[in-house]
Amino acid sequence: MTHDDIDLDTQLLYETLRIRLVELRIIQLYPSDKIQSPVHLSIGQEAVAAGACAALLPEDLVFGSYRSHAFYLAKGGDLRQMMAELYGKATGCCGGKAGSMHLAAPDVGFMGSSAIVASTIPHAVGAALAAKRRGLQQIVVAVFGDGATEEGVYHESLNFAALHQLPVLFLCENNGFAVHSRISARQSYDLLEHADSYGIPTRLCAKGNDPRAVYDTVAAAAERVRVERRPTVVVVDTYRQMEHVGIGEDHHVGYRSPSEAEPWRRTDPLVNESALVARFTPQILREIDDAVAFAEQSPWPGADALLADVA
Amino acid sequence: MGLAFKIETPAATRDAEVVTYRDALLQTMRGALNDDPNAILLGQGVDDHKGIFGSTIGLADAFGKDRVMDTPLAEEGLTGIAVGAALNGLYPIQTHIRADFALLAMNQIVNLAAKYRYMFGGRFEVPMMIRMIVGRSWGQGAQHSQSLQSLFAHVPGLVVIMPSTAESILSSYPWLIRHHRGPVLCLEHRLLYDIGFRVDASPGAERTPAVGSRKLRAGKDVTVVATSIMVLEALRAADHLAELGAADVELIDLHCVSHPDTDLILDSVARTGRLLVADTSWQAFGVAAEMCRIVCERDPGLLKAPVKTLGMAPAPCPTAKSLEDLYYPNLRRLTDDILRLAKGRDDHGVPLPDDASATDVYKRFKGPF
Repeated sequence: MTHDDIDLDTQLLYETLRIRLVELRIIQLYPSDKIQSPVHLSIGQEAVAAGACAALLPEDLVFGSYRSHAFYLAKGGDLRQMMAELYGKATGCCGGKAGSMHLAAPDVGFMGSSAIVASTIPHAVGAALAAKRRGLQQIVVAVFGDGATEEGVYHESLNFAALHQLPVLFLCENNGFAVHSRISARQSYDLLEHADSYGIPTRLCAKGNDPRAVYDTVAAAAERVRVERRPTVVVVDTYRQMEHVGIGEDHHVGYRSPSEAEPWRRTDPLVNESALVARFTPQILREIDDAVAFAEQSPWPGADALLADVA
Repeated sequence: MGLAFKIETPAATRDAEVVTYRDALLQTMRGALNDDPNAILLGQGVDDHKGIFGSTIGLADAFGKDRVMDTPLAEEGLTGIAVGAALNGLYPIQTHIRADFALLAMNQIVNLAAKYRYMFGGRFEVPMMIRMIVGRSWGQGAQHSQSLQSLFAHVPGLVVIMPSTAESILSSYPWLIRHHRGPVLCLEHRLLYDIGFRVDASPGAERTPAVGSRKLRAGKDVTVVATSIMVLEALRAADHLAELGAADVELIDLHCVSHPDTDLILDSVARTGRLLVADTSWQAFGVAAEMCRIVCERDPGLLKAPVKTLGMAPAPCPTAKSLEDLYYPNLRRLTDDILRLAKGRDDHGVPLPDDASATDVYKRFKGPF
């Protein structure tokens, strides 16, 4: 969402807040069982999507993961269609065949999301190969978590993108956990040094809950990818406030402590910018009410959809 | 030029010339690159002096290495890159020098390429082709010989073809590349590459059907449904039996394993009452099993005798030639099974062709390949 009459920082906060409020509504709705889809919430990580997508152009492409509510919305995906998709309705962005884990909005360059970790990273590389071959000026963004960098296909993708100098921005949301496993238990390498070993320039944003900090980092990286037509790796440190999948908090089950969430909560702009939050919340809630009503009133996909678009 | 099998399709009746399987593939790849500036070839060695057994040779010189791209050894990554390229306007053709290597890309093939269109409610198309070669003979062994069509054909969203002749390549590949907006998997047989086939070379030759199963020979006693090189084995068996006047075989080349022409098969079985399935892979859970499902679900009463199936022995492929020759079904066994089916008894008394291994008949090379 862009507003010509407000400054960039305010716009970024608005989008971050919008994503947060949408997911809080999902939490509210979930016990009703109307959303029968596994949800991987971005609460705590919204600023990554809001900041990164604001730094992109409309023609740029983004490939996401199963935790993609935030990127779908930030890239410009329609909220009504997202809510209808979570409800499994025919009016959803994918006609009710995708659910939360496979959101897509190709009309705004959100090119799909996959439940298989790391599996869309090579798609971004391939789309960048196509952009190069077709002489398009767009750049392509692969969004993934720190866990995805452990998959072989991440390494294959970095190698190919560097080898052929493709305009890909690899954007790692480093929240430090793969489900319940800490990065220290999983990785022998440093994310930035590793990318550097492929000759790929890197950038780090340590303040992943600050949308302006993310924007500044991604804008500089995206500009370089756009001009130099070669890949960059951006790592954004962030923190997942909720459990891996589902609507609960899980700081008391043993694998992490409430104290490590505390620094992130203390610096959360959605807590600290209370005046702006109060100002924007009512209009966002109206938008969400409208989207939920749209989802509730929409029809289920019919039998004709079952075998449509198979092959 | 090798053996010249005369394939009785309508297109092969006039102006016939002999074209090898390899040259049909090369002609098709060149045509794809010529027709569409957004078509690219991706694969390990596509630009080298061997050019995927000659099927891509010279194309890097003609079209440039940015369109005929040698690739890193990264099967999953490259299939994912092909998917992404297809999503952004290219037509990628990926090659695997052996089908066995495609197993490394199963995640991208099964979880992504096959599902991208459906899973996103028809919002995306993934037009692309993956060519993979089935090895056989000269000690290919357990990991260079697998014929994996049933794994792929099991998954909705994939089109799986197994060309048995130059004609079937010329009639299906260009059509699929131009018109099919999803992933196509081609299982090509290494032993067929050197074989010459009569094809219609006349300008504007009609090559139909483009993709489906084809009836290569009409007959009244037994329906044989075969895939890939087993189609040629079945033709040899049918010719032998016709010469002796011992049995009249109707032969159907299944060709599109994922989308078999069930009407063609059922019509045939309804007339002959007898079905033999000859596949290049294992029988269990495969093409042989699927043909039985198709017939039995429609009407098992069509069958006057139990179905017979031929395939590889239910084991990984051994390397010793003595074992390999036992591992694959041979012409003698195929002919014998057809006769047992046609005559309704095992002691049919009809002379069988000698049991020279198929490798000795089709192989046109020595040494590693």
